[in-house]
Amino acid sequence: MRIKRRVFLFGLTLLLATAPRAEDFKFPLKSNSVRFAAIGDMGTGETPEYETAQQMSEQRKVFPFDFVIALGDNIYGRHDAVDLEKKFASPYKSLLDGGVKFYASLGNHDDAGIERFYKPFNMNGSNYYSFKKGNVQFFALDSNYMNPKQMEWLQKELQGASGSDWKICFFHHPLYSSARKHGPATDLRLLLEPIFIKYGVNAVFSGHEHVYERILPQKGIYYFTEGSSGQLRAGDLDRSSITANGFDSDRAFMLVEIAGDEMYFETVSRTGKTVDSGVIHRQQAAAAAKP
Amino acid sequence: MTRMGKFKWGWCLVLAGTVGGMPLCSRSSQTANPKPQVDLKAPGFQEFSDRVQKYVQLHKSMEATLPKLKSTNEPELIVAHERALGRKIREARFHAKRGDIFTPAATAAFRKAMAAEFQGPHATHAQATMKQGAPLKKVHLRVNQIYPDSVPYTSVPPTLLQNLPRLPEEVVYRAVSQDLVLLDAKTNLVLDFIVGVIPPGAGENQ
Repeated sequence: MRIKRRVFLFGLTLLLATAPRAEDFKFPLKSNSVRFAAIGDMGTGETPEYETAQQMSEQRKVFPFDFVIALGDNIYGRHDAVDLEKKFASPYKSLLDGGVKFYASLGNHDDAGIERFYKPFNMNGSNYYSFKKGNVQFFALDSNYMNPKQMEWLQKELQGASGSDWKICFFHHPLYSSARKHGPATDLRLLLEPIFIKYGVNAVFSGHEHVYERILPQKGIYYFTEGSSGQLRAGDLDRSSITANGFDSDRAFMLVEIAGDEMYFETVSRTGKTVDSGVIHRQQAAAAAKP
Repeated sequence: MTRMGKFKWGWCLVLAGTVGGMPLCSRSSQTANPKPQVDLKAPGFQEFSDRVQKYVQLHKSMEATLPKLKSTNEPELIVAHERALGRKIREARFHAKRGDIFTPAATAAFRKAMAAEFQGPHATHAQATMKQGAPLKKVHLRVNQIYPDSVPYTSVPPTLLQNLPRLPEEVVYRAVSQDLVLLDAKTNLVLDFIVGVIPPGAGENQ
């Protein structure tokens, strides 16, 4: 018993000694790596959104990301031209001016009729779409309306993306969540999780809950919730057995670099504090994507 | 990061190494795509689909009178297009009323399908979905009125969507409190709705 405990403690010590910690974390900034930011539930047009966007611009000076994935609730409330300006174009002006592209997914506060034709969101008139960056295929889904047509599209796209090393899905409603307000979208999980497993999706990014949460791998898939880039539900995260880490005391956004088989991530608060970071290794998809 | 945070991070790696490092081929799939549990060829659904098709013809004919909408940096153009299309459709069907699309036979078929969903194996999940994003305030639905864009949508339970008649891209289902709503996807025009088809409690306002 004593030996077992010693072995366990030694293993734990070794892990803690070798694990990257927030204060030690650095992106490798490798050439040809895929670098992006992730934001969610940001489109309030209020001061915290502007300050978080400003912090993103600051971070870009040391971590030059090329694009941003938006996890829904991109525009709250009315969707007049003045709203899109105040709630998106203006807060992210310096990023947009710097050539950063945004790829939006739709949340329950978004107006699909407007946003999918708004060029800066790069949706090209569709509620759901995919795009490729380097060795990564991204899939932006509309989790408000997961109808059979979208399900069929997703399976076809995932099957066709077998040439990509990484497959990343992003959409608004999280399949796993420990936040108190909404909790996980289990109905959506019933439909999507088997497909994600079958076709080898590596990581999933969602919003909706106004907190940040990293979930322990579920059936081998990494899940991140980042719904606090404008909104915040302070203290709403009820850390559970599936919570790897979380942050619910200020706004935040994620920075991600995918280099080869590694995905490096850092979650940064509005004030520039690193609240989570780490590296995950790409899962092998040996038998995935068989038709 | 706090001492506690480091500790948890260590545990995360232990679990990530054991779970996340597993090849995808060894993962188990719990649930396959649910097969439709209702008879989509029921006369009520057929009638509904016919009415929807007629509406779509109207939608397309109205849209054809407007310049084709393309992605643009100018949101004014998108908003103007959406409003112009909405106005044309409203004028063209000024006589529209409840029951035009959700006919009595269609309503009966939908009530049966909805009851099957909310009493079936996915009931708990479907009800959880309804509570995820219900409107923040009561919405007073009226046929041929625009759904207010300041009110968020409630997701229609995805497992339910697999069991309802498919819709062309111009039209979508929406759930609002206990009501099932048929909306124009491009203009947010309320085309028709069925009152009280969702069980109480599932779609309560939050």
